[in-house]
Formats: sequence, structure tokens, C-alpha cells
Amino acid sequence: MSDELDEIQAIFFEECSEGLAAAEAGLSAMADGDTSSETIASVFRAVHSIKGGSGAFGHGALLAFSHRFENVLDEVRAGRIPASAGVVKVMLSAFDILSDHVTAAQDASAPPVDEAMLATLDDILATKGGCADGADTPAPASEPEADPFGFTPVTAIVDELDPFGFEPVSVSLDDFDAPAPESADWTVRFGPSRDAMANGGEPMLVIRELERLGGRVIGIDSSALPPLRELDPEDSYIVWTLAVPGAVDQGDINECFDFVAPDSTIEILRAAGEASVSAFENADPVEVIEPVAQAPEPVQTTAPVLTLVDNKPDVPVGKAGGEKTGDQGAQTIRVDLAKLDLLLNLVSELVIRNSILTDRLSPADQQRVELPELARLTRQIQDNVMSLRAQPIKQAFSRVPRMLRDLSAETGKQINLETTGETTEVDKGVIEKIGDPLTHMIRNAADHGLEGAEERIAAGKSPTGTIKLSAEQRGARIYVRVQDDGRGINRERVKAKAIEKGIIAADAVLTDEEIDQLICAPGFSTAETISNISGRGVGMDVVRSNVEALGGRVEIQSVPGRGTTFTMILPLTLAILDGMVVRLAGQRFVLPLASVVESVRPEPGQVQSVSPTSEVIELRGNYLPVKRLTDIFGLQGVRFRKPEDSLVIVVESDSAGHVGLMVDTIDDRREVVIKSLDQNLHPIRGLGGATILGDGSIALILDLEALVASTTPSTPKHTLKGLAA
Amino acid sequence: MTTNVESGERKIVTFSLGDRTFGIDMRALIEIREWDEPTPLPRVPSYIKGVANLRGTVIPIVGLAERLGWEASVPHARSCILVVNIGGKQAGFLVDEVADIVAIKDSEIQPAPDIDIDETNVIAGLVQVATRTQDAHDSDGGTMVLLLDLDALSVTRQMELAA
Repeated sequence: MSDELDEIQAIFFEECSEGLAAAEAGLSAMADGDTSSETIASVFRAVHSIKGGSGAFGHGALLAFSHRFENVLDEVRAGRIPASAGVVKVMLSAFDILSDHVTAAQDASAPPVDEAMLATLDDILATKGGCADGADTPAPASEPEADPFGFTPVTAIVDELDPFGFEPVSVSLDDFDAPAPESADWTVRFGPSRDAMANGGEPMLVIRELERLGGRVIGIDSSALPPLRELDPEDSYIVWTLAVPGAVDQGDINECFDFVAPDSTIEILRAAGEASVSAFENADPVEVIEPVAQAPEPVQTTAPVLTLVDNKPDVPVGKAGGEKTGDQGAQTIRVDLAKLDLLLNLVSELVIRNSILTDRLSPADQQRVELPELARLTRQIQDNVMSLRAQPIKQAFSRVPRMLRDLSAETGKQINLETTGETTEVDKGVIEKIGDPLTHMIRNAADHGLEGAEERIAAGKSPTGTIKLSAEQRGARIYVRVQDDGRGINRERVKAKAIEKGIIAADAVLTDEEIDQLICAPGFSTAETISNISGRGVGMDVVRSNVEALGGRVEIQSVPGRGTTFTMILPLTLAILDGMVVRLAGQRFVLPLASVVESVRPEPGQVQSVSPTSEVIELRGNYLPVKRLTDIFGLQGVRFRKPEDSLVIVVESDSAGHVGLMVDTIDDRREVVIKSLDQNLHPIRGLGGATILGDGSIALILDLEALVASTTPSTPKHTLKGLAA
Repeated sequence: MTTNVESGERKIVTFSLGDRTFGIDMRALIEIREWDEPTPLPRVPSYIKGVANLRGTVIPIVGLAERLGWEASVPHARSCILVVNIGGKQAGFLVDEVADIVAIKDSEIQPAPDIDIDETNVIAGLVQVATRTQDAHDSDGGTMVLLLDLDALSVTRQMELAA
């Protein structure tokens, strides 16, 4: 029982974090000047649903705070409090406290101190935002009555939607100097969709609800009703028209339709020439097309009717453009990741069986069109299933703005964040794992990269520093960049520090790039004092090791006085590895291609023993240790193979620099799907997992770091790769 | 092996290892596969024969006889792999031959004597089942089946210790 509740709670917190991300995105957009009704409404909805859930689960403090926050948002949404810069700033801070509240509720820890914020919010409510931004023009004493939803100016492109041929006009509600007369009745048209009926929606309940508000049915449009023999008893054909007294708040009318399935026909309009038409989507944005209000005279007695029944993202609605609308309108379902993985397994197996089947058929049969067709379909299914795991990287970026606000407050530096490419899709596993490295990189940029305002002015730069956060996909890799326009890496100081800490020798000659790389060396920190933010000397070290654990790498570019760019280059998915299939004692193994430097067929004498158990290969004057995988794995029944009959693959490792691995042959280069060994067994040192090859057999994936580290204790360690060879 | 108290009866799959007959609870069985040489793993105990591909999942193949301390079975034409679920993990057991599926009553299970294996007793009990062969005239009336306690067998835990 309590398990069940825990499960529901977990869903609630998951929704909270989604809500917080949506609210933050909305508030950030508002801070950038986008105060469209959709944006404000998205913030309101997010906070509203957090409030709703917190009440249900008894998180009192969260409930109380979100309620007060919501009050302010409601007023902003209604336009009674202007979304001025001051108000938005307060709301951003309120948002930070809200997320702290959510965290506190989740960890069952003490809720954050919010009295001051509550007082500020109340002040805003009392003064209609005046206190937050005195300079702003005070909010109009009374907003147009017809605007309880905070409709703000939108340019409605009505060409495709408008059956009445109105010219597209941009309308601003502020121009409405004559609000609709109080007495004008609402005309509500309601036609449940087939889906609504299929979902068990009972139109009578909606109509009764409207009647309770004083509405009465004034017309029934049954023109869509087909002849009896064509009638589909499961479909819905009837559209009711109801008149609802004008005194009724539109919000109350809207509520009647809260549980009506999307794509039902729902039109709510005032008889006097204003129409607000809503396409409802359950628990989703109320999409509003602003009325085309200045038809000189009301057209007949009927108000203009715009029917926007389906909420297609590609229909341009409002000035916020299709992107935002599509974003929110996108229908999603929650699926357990394990189910997706299972599906992925099964589909991969399907692909394998398909190719085995193909091999077994006679050449004549192989020529048939059905077979390639089948293969193509299976591949498509596989690609699709893979794409299901992909999520926009926005999820990882979403916590950055808040972090920068905090950092800005702590350091007193003015920081401007520019984000691009947040819609780039990456495997969910990658998103989950780049959070920490990203945090370190941002902190590093804010703390070390950017200068204080005075220093910036002295250097002839704008006092506000800029951090650019971007993501882009190139082939099977994703590039995540954190770029600052700060002072750049002080190479003199970095080198001095590295010598002082014994990371490099005092007389080492390093290129600029190598010095930059030193930042990522374990135990390196140039911060004069250890600050709260970074400078613990673990930051960039952690970044590098985390990124490398994901099969990626970190690149650093720095121009003194102009700034530094850190680039994380990551695989698009954790499930796929670009590998080199090698053969060894009849068995196949996969080497991560990213680690392979070169492969060499040794000349006689090029590989020499330096002890009974160790060998080196001479390569362009350098001696590299050579490992025989057969020895490491103790593969049985393998006769000694002469080096000149083998291949030496030179790989790059962190712990041991360049190492040669002796294998029999190279089979193939291919992308392999990584299967974990610990799912049904346990991790085995030296193996990164297994994969299933095209013929259904299993090949083991080598974990080079563990292999070379565990077997080369005597190898001279190079602290840094790149300095090794 | 959990006991089905309600019905007092359960189904077991019997199979042979050498000249002995063993049984496991039917509910733990996922499927029976033909023997196919698995991909050997480095650095594992010898009773782990390697890993195999079970519909896209990598599962370990365990030489059950060897695991139980008997002489390792040599795969032959009728060798099978019993794919079982042990506490959420899947593993394949190499067995010599799958014999039968029989229903037994809990009351028929006799406690196993202390078998001298230097670990937890992996034999949950002994039960006698009627021999189902054409010429079932055997006077002894049945075969002794050693019921395995899969949880105690803890293939994965053993492997972890060994690793």
C-alpha cells in the first residue's frame, strides 16, 4: 500500500521537476522580454500543478509557498500586474525558493526560509507590482473585462483558419478601450469528438454543468448526422449551442471543459463581436486566437467564429511562433526505460535473425524483393526505437540559468548566458551523466574565466561577462561547449602551479595546448584562495574523468584576454560504441575505436623481450610496452604466435600512455550495441561489456584502461596523455 | 525454492547430470535451449562456461555439474541449456538431458541429509518420482530426484566472490 503511494509520490516529484524546468524556461523567456500570454500561462500552469500535487501529498510548506507564488502569477497572467523587469526578477527569485521547497519536500528536509520572499510577493500583490518596479507605469486600474486569461498582444495569422476572410491584423488588447458590455451573453458551442466518446466522456455532464452556470441550450446542430445505415454508433455527430449569461466568468465556462478530450469542438464567444476560441487539450495550454475585433459593425448577429479544432504545432499561432506551441502541445507518455531497453534488445535480435535468415536462403531467394524490404523495415524499427531514448539536451541545460544567478550573486560578477542548440537530441543516459561535468565547467567559467566588472572595463570589455552554452551534433558525436569571454588561461601561472605541485618537471617544455590540458590534471587548481564555488582542485579533473568514462573527451581552447572554450565531445548514445573487431585465438573482441592510435604489422625483431614476461615494440625510435591479450586473459590452447604473424594495435590510455596490444587480425570496424555483463552476471575486470555481432554470436568489449592498468604495474606512468609518446 | 503453501503441490522440471536426476521449480524456468558453445569469459571460475545471447540479452552459461562439485559434464547431442531466473538475474545451466515435468506434493519432499559441500546446502530436498519409461517395471518404483535450491545456489554471488 505504502509502496503504491511512494510510487505515486515519485511520479509527483518527477512532474515537479518537469514543472520546475517549464517554469524556469518560461521565466527566463519573460526576463528576456517575452511576456506573451503563452509564456506566462506556462509558468502559471507549472506552479499550479506543483501546488496541486503538494496539497495531495501533504507537503504543507511547499503548498503554502506555491499557493502564494501562484497568486502573483495569476495576477500577472490576468494582466493586472505588469510583467515588468522588476516583477520578473522577483518571480525568478521566488522560483529559486520554490525549487528549494520541492527539494526539501523530496528529501523530507527542512523547508527553505521563505518569509522574506513571501512578503515581497505579497507586496507585489498589494501594490500591483508597483513596489517591484516603481519606475514602471502603474498597471491600468481596470483591465478589459474580457481578459481574465491575460491575453496579451498576439499577431494572429488567421489565413488558414479563417472561414470569414478577415484580414490578418495584429491586435493588442490594450487598444480595447471599450470592453465588451457586461450583459452580452456567452455563446458556447460544444461538439464532443469521437475520442471524447471513446474515452467515456458524457456530453450531458458538460451540458448540465453549463446549465448550472445559468446556461441554456439554444440550438442543436445535427446536420452532420448521417443516414441511419451509415451511422457509427461510436462516433459523435451533434453540436450543442448554449447561451450562458454574460455575468459568468469565462474561467468558469472553461472549467466545464476541463475533462473533455482534445480535438472536440469547443467555442466560447461573446455575442457582441468578440470571439475567443479555444482548442482544449487536457491539462494543456489554452490556445487562444485573439479575436479580430474591429469589424466595423458586428456581422449579423453571430459573432465571428474561428474554429481551431486541432492544435497542430505547424499552424502559426501567436507571435511566440510555432516552436513553443508545438513544444507544449506535444503529446507524451511516460515509459519505463527498462521497457525501452527490452524493446531495443528484441529489435536488435530481429535484425540479427533477419541477416541469418538471408544467409541461409538460396541466392535465388535472396534476390526477392521481400527480403531487402524486410531488412529495411527492421532497420527502420531499430532506428526508431533508438530515437525513443533520445531527449533534448535542454534537460541538462535547464539548471544552468539558476546556477548562474547564484554564482552571479556570490561572485558579484554580472553574467549573461547565451544558450544555443538546446533542442539537440541525445541519449537519456548521456543527459543524466553530463550534469556534473557541465556544472563544473560553468562554475569554472564563472569563477576563473570571467573577470570582475572593473577588470573587464579596464580591458575594454563590457562589464557584463558572457557565457555561451551550446550543443551541436556532428556525426555520431555531440559537442557541448562552454565558452566565456573572460581573461583566458594564464599559461605562465598554470605552468608555475603545475611545477609547484609536482605535476610536471620544472624543466618541462610544453606547448600552449599541453599547458591548457594541465587544468584537467588531478589535484590542479590555480585559484588563489579556495572559494565556495570552485577551486577545490577537483573540478576540471572530474570533468575530464566523467567525460572519458562516457567515451568522450574534453578539448580546451584559450586565447589570452579573449576567453576560454571548453568542449565536451560525447558519443550520441551510451548504447553504441564505435569499435574495432579484432580476432584473437579464434575469439572476437571489440576495441573502442576512439582509443586506437594505429596498427602495425611488426617486422621481425621489431618486438623484443625485455623480461621473460614483457615485451616492447620499437616504433619510430620509441619503445612502447606490448601486451599479449592471450596472456592477460589466459586464453587456453593458444600456441605461441610470432610477433610478425600478429598485429600490434597501439592504443592510448590515461594511466599508461601508449600501449601496444598484440592481436591476431583485425576483422572489421563497426558500431556495436553495448550490452552490460553485470545485468545477469557481474562486472569483469578488463571487460567493458559484450556485444552481439551480426551472426548472433557474442564478442567481448575490452576495457583498455583496466587492461593496461591491471597488467602494467611497472610501466612508467605519464600523468598526462599527450605528454607520453 | 519457495514453497507453494496454498496448494501444497508444485511442478518441477527434472533433468540429468551424469547418472543423477535433479529437479528445479518450474516457475524459475524461462526456457530450454539447445546447447551451443558460449563465448568464453576471462577471469571467471571454471564452472562459468561463458556467455550466450538470449534474445539480445547476455546471460552467463553455468556448468551445473561442475558448480555442484561433480565432474564437469561434456556437452553431447542431447545436452541442453536450462535458462532460469534466479532472483531477477538470468542464467543458463548446462545439463545432460531434460527428462520430464512432474507435479509433486510438498509432503512428498524429504529433507536432504547434510551433503558434504563446503557451503550452504544447495539441495532443498529429495523426492521420489515414478519413472516414466516404456518398460516401467522397475521394482524400486521410482527415481530419486534431488531438488535444487536455486537461491542457495546463488550463482551470481559465488561469481562475485570469485571475481
